[in-house]
Amino acid sequence: MRKVILIGSPNSGKSLLFNRLTGMHQKVANFPGITVDMASGPMQSLPDVTIVDYPGTYSLQPISGEEEVAVEHFKHALDDPQVVHVLCLIDATRLEKSVYFMLQVIRECESHGKRVVVLANMMDILKKHQISIDLEGLAREIKAPVIGISARTGIGFNDLVESLNSDINLDEKSVDSGIAEVPDAFLRGTAHQLARRYGPKGDILIKSQTRLDDFFLHSVFGGISFFVIMYLLFQSIFTLAAPAMEGVESALGWVSDWVVPAIGSQMARDFTADALFSGIGAFLVFVPQIFVLTFVIGILEDSGYMARAALICHKPLRVFGLTGKSFIPMLSGVACAIPAIYAARSIDSPRKRLLTYMAIPLMPCSARLPVYTLLIAAFIPQVTAFGGLLGMQGLAMFAIYFFGMASGLVVTGLVSRMSEDHYADLPFVLEMPPYRIPAWQPLIRNSWNRSKHFVTKAGKIIFAVTVVVWILGYFPNFGQDLAASWLGYLGLWIEPLFAPLGLDWRYGVAVLTSFLAREVFVGTLGTMFGIEGAEENMVPLVAQIQASGLSIASGLALLVFFAIALMCVSTMAIMARESESNTLTLKLFAAYGLAAYGLAVLTYNVATLFS
Amino acid sequence: MAISLWSLKVGDRCRIECFDDTLADSYRVRVMELGFHPGEVVSCVQAPAFGAPKVYRVSNTMFSLDEEVAAHIRVVLLTANA
Ligand SMILES: Nc1nc2c(ncn2[C@@H]2O[C@H](COP(=O)(O)OP(=O)(O)OP(=O)(O)O)[C@@H](O)[C@H]2O)c(=O)[nH]1
Ligand SMILES: [Mg+2]
Repeated sequence: MRKVILIGSPNSGKSLLFNRLTGMHQKVANFPGITVDMASGPMQSLPDVTIVDYPGTYSLQPISGEEEVAVEHFKHALDDPQVVHVLCLIDATRLEKSVYFMLQVIRECESHGKRVVVLANMMDILKKHQISIDLEGLAREIKAPVIGISARTGIGFNDLVESLNSDINLDEKSVDSGIAEVPDAFLRGTAHQLARRYGPKGDILIKSQTRLDDFFLHSVFGGISFFVIMYLLFQSIFTLAAPAMEGVESALGWVSDWVVPAIGSQMARDFTADALFSGIGAFLVFVPQIFVLTFVIGILEDSGYMARAALICHKPLRVFGLTGKSFIPMLSGVACAIPAIYAARSIDSPRKRLLTYMAIPLMPCSARLPVYTLLIAAFIPQVTAFGGLLGMQGLAMFAIYFFGMASGLVVTGLVSRMSEDHYADLPFVLEMPPYRIPAWQPLIRNSWNRSKHFVTKAGKIIFAVTVVVWILGYFPNFGQDLAASWLGYLGLWIEPLFAPLGLDWRYGVAVLTSFLAREVFVGTLGTMFGIEGAEENMVPLVAQIQASGLSIASGLALLVFFAIALMCVSTMAIMARESESNTLTLKLFAAYGLAAYGLAVLTYNVATLFS
Repeated sequence: MAISLWSLKVGDRCRIECFDDTLADSYRVRVMELGFHPGEVVSCVQAPAFGAPKVYRVSNTMFSLDEEVAAHIRVVLLTANA
């Protein structure tokens, strides 16, 4: 087996090329530092070749976590006899950011007898603007082959494959680019000259970027547009997903009307109706929201706006001990805490990375979405204006999302002030990628994968919990009286814990089960109401909550509880691994659990005063 | 006369001269790696309000630097924006 490694500066298109060559689906987005770990897979056109995708790095002197990963693995690869080729990607539209690292790679490869092929990516953009650059001249100068490619359109792929094939037999032909042993400082000077000589000339490439930046980074409009974009993100979860959610709901209702009566045994019929349709079905209804959320965040990432948002947020986030670079992990935390924790690797300051870990579990992740949507739909009237752009439920969602994010900032602000060097920290240096029209297909695929992951998770945890809850709730009296079931007894035992929130035991059980994963709440509740309700056809969970006598004050307390508590086993596992600290993870779990409970009790009591 | 990169206004062009000793080594090297190399011509393209990091252009690449870096880069003003 041969290995070919893909290395290069951040945001130069390595992962997109990797995906094209292997048919895999690594995350691709228009922001430097998206890939934080290694990935590998066989090349489709040459199955004996394994391609390895690296995180991006600007040099062999790493300053952030994912750069460290890249440099570390590159050093190993240099001594790995299986690695035959090193493909070094440079961004042909902006040589200045990639040639220095390219020279370093050439130098290291030369002294280790590895073959480098330089891939000048993004040739489609140069073509579009009818700009030509002298790749042959560059190749002569660096004494390494340079192939112009486009990872997006496939330009140059034939040459690339050919070079991987042809060079193989010329093994050990010594290459001499004359830069072995040359110190870094000299390479920086060379890089500077090469970029000047061979880089595309003129302003065409950055004109449109500057115009858009004039708006998005404007002193006034920049801030306003930031809030408008964030608000639209949350409103879209409702507006765009609503039809699909109704579709799933009625489809499930239709299938259950058709399936349930056809089942012979009474118990199997009850199980199907309560645990499968009411329990798991209640949760499937939210899949379209997960899709929309991932999709909209994906648009922000791939358009290049995310880097602008990081810049706008840098100053405000510093007040809370964070950096503008914390913004991306925190916003991905809105989809799911797990990728967010990985994304935090790109934060160069270890302390700010740690603080970002503390904030991430408070970001309103998509597992909270079903809980929020359900409770908001149960209590907040469905009033909209401006054709769905502005709505009461959207505003309520915005408020609860804001509450989660704000509490994250309060925590990091307080914690960072406990240490002396609150302000003394590493500076902020970030490449501003160009604005791009998002690549729709990978975006849709990524959103689809997330939704699928959500459903598979349902297939495991939620199914298991729902079945256990159903069994406990159905026996020993065969679903005649939920309160007298085993679950009911258990519920009585925990009820005192939830009484200060005005919640009865059914909600208590649902909250406890959701410590495995938040969305289990919906499944558990659905199952219990399913057992209680005599109907064999599906009743929407919202209606059942409204009928269950849950007061608005308790509903609010529940919202607050879910916003704060760290209820996700997988997040805790990943956090312990990435932060290399079990104590931090356990402390956060305990602190957020207690704070959630305390604040929920407070909310309940205050809200009761007003209602 | 050398001024700091941070003091540039939008539209100003300058040439990088050298770096203050006060800038941490790793960041001095990093900005040079990114193209802020002595002799390079750099311009300031965005200066958002409230002390947010500014955006500088090196050839075709844009980087945003905050005051903590940019204030330590000594430059010579070439053309000031009218
Ligand atoms: N127009 C065009 N866009 C490209 C090309 N290659 C990559 N892109 C875009 O460039 C952005 C970055 O691509 P990635 O593949 O994520 O880059 P990467 O090098 O893996 O980035 P990191 O993992 O952050 O180091 C994405 O928005 C891609 O769609 C190309 O050849 N042409
Ligand atoms: Mg990548």
